[in-house]
Amino acid sequence: MRQSPLHSRAALALLVLAFTACRKETAIPATATTAGAENALVISRHEGRIFASGIAPPAERVSNSPANDAKAADAGAALFTGMNCDGCHGGGAVGAVGPSLTDGRWRYGGADADIYRSIAEGRPKGMPAFGGVLQPAMVWRLVAYIKSLPQPKDVPTESW
Amino acid sequence: MSLRRSASAVACIVAASLAATRGFAQSAPADGDWTMPSKDFAATRFSGLAQITPATVKSLHPVWTFSTGTLGGHEGQPLVVNNTMYVVTPYPNVLYAFDLTKEGYPLKWKYRPNVDQNSIGIACCDVVNRGAVYAQGKIVYNLLDGHTVAIDAATGKELWMTKIADLAQGETTPMAPLIVKNIVLVGASGGEFGILGWVKGLDLATGRIVWTATNIGPDSLVLAKAGTFKAFYDKGAQLGQSTWPADTWKHGGAPVWGWMSYDPELDLVYYGVGNPGPYNAEQRLGDNKWTASVLARHPEDGALVWAYQFTPHDSWDFDAAAEMILVDLKIGGRMRKALVHFDKNGFEYTMDRTTGEVLLAEPYVHVNWATKVDLTTGRPVLNDAKGTGATKGNVKDICPTLEGGKSPASPVAYSPRTGLFYASTNSMCMDYEAVQTAYLKGTPFMGINSPYHAGSDPNMGAFIAWDATTGKRAWAIKEPFPVWSGSLATKGNVVFYGTLDGWFKAADATNGAVLWKFKVGSGVVGDPITFKGADGKQYVAIYAGIGGDWLLLSGDYKSDDPADVRDPADFARDLARHTSQGGIVWIFAL
Repeated sequence: MRQSPLHSRAALALLVLAFTACRKETAIPATATTAGAENALVISRHEGRIFASGIAPPAERVSNSPANDAKAADAGAALFTGMNCDGCHGGGAVGAVGPSLTDGRWRYGGADADIYRSIAEGRPKGMPAFGGVLQPAMVWRLVAYIKSLPQPKDVPTESW
Repeated sequence: MSLRRSASAVACIVAASLAATRGFAQSAPADGDWTMPSKDFAATRFSGLAQITPATVKSLHPVWTFSTGTLGGHEGQPLVVNNTMYVVTPYPNVLYAFDLTKEGYPLKWKYRPNVDQNSIGIACCDVVNRGAVYAQGKIVYNLLDGHTVAIDAATGKELWMTKIADLAQGETTPMAPLIVKNIVLVGASGGEFGILGWVKGLDLATGRIVWTATNIGPDSLVLAKAGTFKAFYDKGAQLGQSTWPADTWKHGGAPVWGWMSYDPELDLVYYGVGNPGPYNAEQRLGDNKWTASVLARHPEDGALVWAYQFTPHDSWDFDAAAEMILVDLKIGGRMRKALVHFDKNGFEYTMDRTTGEVLLAEPYVHVNWATKVDLTTGRPVLNDAKGTGATKGNVKDICPTLEGGKSPASPVAYSPRTGLFYASTNSMCMDYEAVQTAYLKGTPFMGINSPYHAGSDPNMGAFIAWDATTGKRAWAIKEPFPVWSGSLATKGNVVFYGTLDGWFKAADATNGAVLWKFKVGSGVVGDPITFKGADGKQYVAIYAGIGGDWLLLSGDYKSDDPADVRDPADFARDLARHTSQGGIVWIFAL
């Protein structure tokens, strides 16, 4: 009884393939990034944070995937369907029961590291933690896919 | 308005049904109260109050409002018991008790449960609650996160809380319980999460789970016992298992999210079962019993007595979760103990509620997935061109949509005075593209892409009056948007409903003339009720607060920006000009 637009056609076979491929792979080399400082060109609201005393915390060291790697984004798109992400976030991540990931608003931050954490650790309003079933490299592919989606010029006032 | 019934025909029906109506339909303790979600065990949503009539309704005006402070869809209805109004909000499921004897109806108490906020994202279709039920001094209702609570109706004190469902499995609990004798009947949503659907009977005194019956699976789980269970059309045992490939029934869905009804004479509880999972039907070849079905059980031990499947091998998300209305009707010259059901699949079924025989099945909206229901087999005659599955690609123009010709979230009312059923209906069609999907516990198990569009009728909805003895429409009030509210019928011969664009309307039950309307501030997806106040006057109450399946239409978006109204909601982007979110309780009086 619900609307859930799915546009992706990736099938179970792809998911299995992705799992298999990933298990064999070594970790993607780590790149130091600072949450909130990256992706400055992406138009979005509520991505930044307010620092007490105006001092940013020490940069978090999290491994990252190459944001502009088209292959990583494609693999992430397959995972987005294979792991049933689209069941809540809609095909193309345009939003359904779960929030849109293409409206330029990020409830828990839109930096790569924030999105990574949302996927791996889950979020309290029903976002499952996938860190137990997906290896870090796979989560990064999902991040790459999500960050590859076009963001609107005009961001709605509130996420839905 | 069309197909207006002639005055003489109406008179005949009125006479016949007045003679026919049995007492139990109106056996609620005091007709001035509204103690259970559907007004009575028969689920008629008919009140014997008659001060508000076609002649007086013009002076109806608001006398009280209350902001619930929540934005979720306000489905369901308040209760009125002993001059107290009880309101359950959508998540976080706060229960308010208002004193109707004092000016301004001040708060007596409120109960604030601690509901797991993960339920927000696990609930398939907004964080709705479909209402509470009263019995033996207790208000009983479901929290969204899989708990049933019993609250002392006088003090607001929690008497018991029972965990009935598992969020981690994708189970949530927006449905309204029914209390029969000392048993509280509950069920779970989760047809989009591959649950193994069930109903449970809890002890009203303690909350203890007395029995659990699944809707799918082996007879031992379904509680189908030889000698007790007998389906009218289906022969053999283990039907809930043998109609599924291998173990697919274990994640086959079969949720229960509508309203239940009960016949004390037959001692049978009736409820509808929702969709099979996943939406890609090719992953579950077979009938998939008892999804998209009506089940009749004994309330005390849950034993299945009969079952009937409206949509075998459902390939369109045609949940049968809608209410089963129990009235005695004259069909083919013979009085029958009837069960009337408006299915999502577009057919109205008039059945024998003793046996599960289908007496009549007629489309009440435009239907093209089936040509008719074969009454000798009980099965729909399919239009093969509208079958869906992952290998079939995008199947276009299936009518009605998976939102239903009528949503199970919009319960029908029946008036013994006119003999007519009053239903909120939708004239929409859909494209349905199934894809292969894998079950992962705690995530959606769906596999579908299905945008909607308007049907052949430029109006996307209508409020209709229907004769279930002939399967014919008596009249219709056309609406620009789908109609999603419940219905209320009254002895005063006025019927009430609300619209997504925020109108609350009263119509003449006999001919469908709209007699009165009021703009209530947000789209209506709730169900009107009527009650007698402490001053002896008749009141009408309704929730405003768009949402439910329409949360896609009701979030923040700009009315002039197509990019901000995403499919499948983009068929109704004008709606943003008429409503926004937010819950309000309204009370009206003459």
